Amino acid sequence: MDKGLLAYLLIPLLSAVLIPFAARARRRLADVIANVTLLAGLANLAWLVLRPSMISGGFADIPGDGLTLLLVGAVYLVGFCVTFFSAWFMEDGTPNRQAYYSLILVSVAAMTGVVSATDFFTLYVFIEVLAVTSFALITTDDSGRGVEGALKYFFLTFPASALIILGISILMLTLGSLSFDNLRIFMASGVPSSGPVTFGAALMLLGFLIKSGVAPFHTWTPDAYQGAYAPVSAHLAGIVTKISGVYALIRMAALLHFFDGRALALSDLLMFLGMLSIAVGAVAALRQKDFKRMLAFSSVSQVGYIVLAAGLGTPLAIMGAIFHLFNHATFKTVLFLNSASLEKSAGTTDMEKLGGMEHAMPWTSWTSVVALLSTAGVPPLSGFWSKLLIILALWQAGLKTYAVLALLFSIVTLAYFMVMQRKVFFGKKSRAAEASAEVSAPLLAPAVLMSALIVALGLLFPYFYTYVRMVAERILI
Amino acid sequence: MNSFPMEWYFTALMMFVGFYCMLASRSIVRQLIGLEIVSKGAMLALLSAGALANNLVFAQALVLTLIVIEVVVVAAGLALLVKNFRVNGTSDIWKLDSLKG
Amino acid sequence: MMNDYRTLLYALAVFFSLWAVMSRKLLISAIMLALVSVSVSLIFFDFGAPWAGVFELSVCAGLITVLFVGAVSLIRAEEEKHPESRARFYALPLAAAIFAIAGWFYLPQFFAEIAGWARPGTGSGTIGLALWDMRRPDLLGQVLMLAAGVFVIKSVFPRRSEK
Repeated sequence: MDKGLLAYLLIPLLSAVLIPFAARARRRLADVIANVTLLAGLANLAWLVLRPSMISGGFADIPGDGLTLLLVGAVYLVGFCVTFFSAWFMEDGTPNRQAYYSLILVSVAAMTGVVSATDFFTLYVFIEVLAVTSFALITTDDSGRGVEGALKYFFLTFPASALIILGISILMLTLGSLSFDNLRIFMASGVPSSGPVTFGAALMLLGFLIKSGVAPFHTWTPDAYQGAYAPVSAHLAGIVTKISGVYALIRMAALLHFFDGRALALSDLLMFLGMLSIAVGAVAALRQKDFKRMLAFSSVSQVGYIVLAAGLGTPLAIMGAIFHLFNHATFKTVLFLNSASLEKSAGTTDMEKLGGMEHAMPWTSWTSVVALLSTAGVPPLSGFWSKLLIILALWQAGLKTYAVLALLFSIVTLAYFMVMQRKVFFGKKSRAAEASAEVSAPLLAPAVLMSALIVALGLLFPYFYTYVRMVAERILI
Repeated sequence: MNSFPMEWYFTALMMFVGFYCMLASRSIVRQLIGLEIVSKGAMLALLSAGALANNLVFAQALVLTLIVIEVVVVAAGLALLVKNFRVNGTSDIWKLDSLKG
Repeated sequence: MMNDYRTLLYALAVFFSLWAVMSRKLLISAIMLALVSVSVSLIFFDFGAPWAGVFELSVCAGLITVLFVGAVSLIRAEEEKHPESRARFYALPLAAAIFAIAGWFYLPQFFAEIAGWARPGTGSGTIGLALWDMRRPDLLGQVLMLAAGVFVIKSVFPRRSEK
């Protein structure tokens, strides 16, 4: 466990415990405590990473492996956007207000634990904590569909956990320990028969693939995202499922030395499933009628890109995967938060009933368009650069088919988003658009902040590239 | 010849029964029971692997953590079950099909 | 081969889990699940892992059973009004037998091979030291898990007065 980042885990936990006591009399205090905690963490992180001396030094002084710090940043960023949004979104009479904020803070703490774990079992423990908090968060608004989504999530992630435990026991048997370093040393040492370790790793990879909602196991994702309480779906799609599954896949891809041809079968499997999930997600998204459900399928498709790159495992691919993971957190948060705004203002997320929302809700529309274009990989937004890195890495590795397919499906992504933009934001003014008005400024602020970040990351790509390269160099020793 | 292969053979059998239950049953309670059986199997596998590798103390420490996790997971599952029963009025998982597309 | 006592316990665990799945009444299922836990905890004792055994016995066989019985009694009436088709459950012994016989030819050999990969560890120390020295992050994880559990219950069952 990374000791330097322990504070980022403990402080949210303390705030979470504090909330039910402090906010018993004054309900709004819960919002304040949660927001202040996350904002303080974010400010601290920004100071740590974005100091001028740090930037000019090429981020060489970043403690640890850099990936942890970047992802803690993403966790806090999305967590802050979600709590800030919820503070104005949540109705005053909601019965479990304090529990809601406590759960978000616990899930932030758990995610910090996941990304700072240095041992497979610790990773597993924190992932379970994260899963348990997610169910309760999904069902916050007591809707039937929320409970349904939560149940489907429940009954797919826990069998996956059993697979992970089996993998862990084989790893313990053959390595004698579960730390990341041990596996790294073992894979680097070039012991001829790495079969047993690979078998254990395969079981764990399978578990993490289910948890990250990659193609054949993606059935729970749309249900959970669509049914979830609106701000929670942003939290879930933006960061939770990425940390609980995709992060572990990237970490294992680096540890198993995919780049020098060890564990080739696993690498191939991961790449195939990544491609499959890109295709399935994109094709399914084309047929959706509901805004949130389409976003969920798009999320399946974008996760496919990350898994594809992780499966390839070359330094360039790992850079692309990490960058895309971060980008995914930014654009999916914007989109899901905006879908929550739509739901609040227009009362529906059914795309047939929406239309011409640009006139009624200009800010919501235009931040969505920025995020959509970034998802589809249009230059100069940040999503373009990460997809470029992934496709370049595929091409460099000689996997021309995968490279072309990845490019092709990124055009499909653009296509379904065009369809959606026409249906929801542009075009003739629908009855829903006439009846609805722009949501208040505080509800827009997180989306605007994230959109600004998308544009900034795209324009300041060289700096981010330096950071990501540093990360890739450190995790691929 | 040590006893490890037979232990894992029985464990595999147990996990098969658990997974079968999760696949075959429509009732949420029964699915939870299947899940419990599967996770018991996983614990047994972990402990017998630890015993084989002369790492029993380490394995025992992991199993203790697993038990704590299991309790909270089952409590969360049962809470979901009761909430689902209150909200949707059913404990049949296939009747839940309002989300489609 | 393993000693007869442990074989018996493993066989009992499998038998009780079969019964738990097959039983028509949910209450019987919950009780059989407790018996599975008891067998598992006896296996833990036999391995020489008393702490795991005690926890399994008190927490899994005790607390979880209480939780199950409580939840089952809440929904039992509804559940028994619409009984699900039993055909798939009657097929379970057959499926399990097929799995057991087919697996008999392959699985023990495969597992023996896995056993051959084992790298003996140190195996020293006590459970308390192991938890505190090597698994301290897990303890933090446990604390976080318990906190999460409390908040989940608080969130799912809000106080009546607030409704």
